[in-house]
Amino acid sequence: MTFDEWLRVDRLPHIYCAGCGNGTVINCTLSAVDQMGWKKEEIVFVSGIGCSSRAPGYIVTDSLHTTHGRAIAFATGIKMANPDLKVVVFTGDGDLAAIGGNHFIHGCRRNIDLTVICMNNMIYGMTGGQGSPTTPRGALSTTTPYGSSEAAFDLCGLAAAAGANYVARYTSYHVKELTLAIRTGLGNPGFSFIEALVQCPTNYGRRNKLRQVSDQIEYFKSHAILAQKAERMREEGKKIPDDMIIIGELARRNRPALGVRK
Amino acid sequence: MRLVIDESRCKGCNLCTLVCPYRIFRPGTKANPRGVIVPELDRPERCANCRLQRLYGRTICGMCQMICPDQAISWEEEGPCEPMKVAIEY
Ligand SMILES: Cc1ncc(C[n+]2csc(CCOP(=O)(O)OP(=O)(O)O)c2C)c(N)n1
Ligand code: SF4
Ligand code: SF4
Ligand code: SF4
Ligand SMILES: [Mg+2]
Repeated sequence: MTFDEWLRVDRLPHIYCAGCGNGTVINCTLSAVDQMGWKKEEIVFVSGIGCSSRAPGYIVTDSLHTTHGRAIAFATGIKMANPDLKVVVFTGDGDLAAIGGNHFIHGCRRNIDLTVICMNNMIYGMTGGQGSPTTPRGALSTTTPYGSSEAAFDLCGLAAAAGANYVARYTSYHVKELTLAIRTGLGNPGFSFIEALVQCPTNYGRRNKLRQVSDQIEYFKSHAILAQKAERMREEGKKIPDDMIIIGELARRNRPALGVRK
Repeated sequence: MRLVIDESRCKGCNLCTLVCPYRIFRPGTKANPRGVIVPELDRPERCANCRLQRLYGRTICGMCQMICPDQAISWEEEGPCEPMKVAIEY
């Protein structure tokens, strides 16, 4: 596919730092949308605030860049007002799970027909690297200078428990799988949640012994474990190391969805 | 088709050098006028997409383009040219 068809090329190069994983997630999303064969007028991209939330500004379709944490609330409004629109939300880990946590939970509960893509860089990127609800235990950030002592949120576990119809996790290394997951989410009625772990070389990698962009990609590559394999290991009584990232499709079901024309 | 890097977009992150099965991308050595060290292409005619896109009617491989965070990699149409032998290691 040609990205340029979907991109506001006059706005490029985008503001992201060199090697920022957000750009890769934009590629995967546009590729998935392109495969759906949708027209540009049918789709709206919505986002909150953060580096990740700048993404809709680089896409030619209509978009809403809303207030911090409220992307899902605005998207719910769009979908309820016009269920014919396909509504895709770009959000960050801070935007979705910290200030926007309640909107996220209730979006899943309502099972509103949105596709929510979270670019989880495990940090507040835009504001200079403060710890977020997904900062791993032990990780350094400007607000956890001795290493985070809190447990990180499992965003996919949360979405699945709260009732989302489709839940998947991949990383910016797994581009083909991520594209397929987004495509599945777009085609699935109800709340589709896709978590994409991304590198933030500037504010996460730099402080956590992953100095080069490639270090974080290599980390994703070596620490990802497919959900089915993790399940098999559990059955065999083997321990899955705490720092492993479980990737794959984590929920797919058919609860009644809100915002779908009958 | 010819593989090209758009120097006005590339930020020199070298992610493309990690994913190409043919190792076509090599970390660059010289900064361009924007101060970016753009990767060098080593015999880009070996690229699977350059050779096979026409035949299959879709992008083949395309890993470098997908992972490039700056949408800097694409393929250009080529004008008529002399046939040339391309050595491909499997
Ligand atoms: C109401 C409000 N509170 C705080 C901020 C400051 N702020 C801007 S971006 C951000 C964090 C964004 O983190 P995340 O969603 O993870 O996005 P990233 O930049 O990491 O992609 C914060 C706290 C704000 N803009 N508005
Ligand atoms: S601060 Fe981090 S998330 Fe923000 S653009 Fe830079 S690398 Fe990307
Ligand atoms: S991945 Fe893209 S931005 Fe990064 S060095 Fe390669 S061409 Fe440049
Ligand atoms: S499409 Fe594949 S083979 Fe061609 S340059 Fe990119 S990564 Fe290499
Ligand atoms: Mg973040």
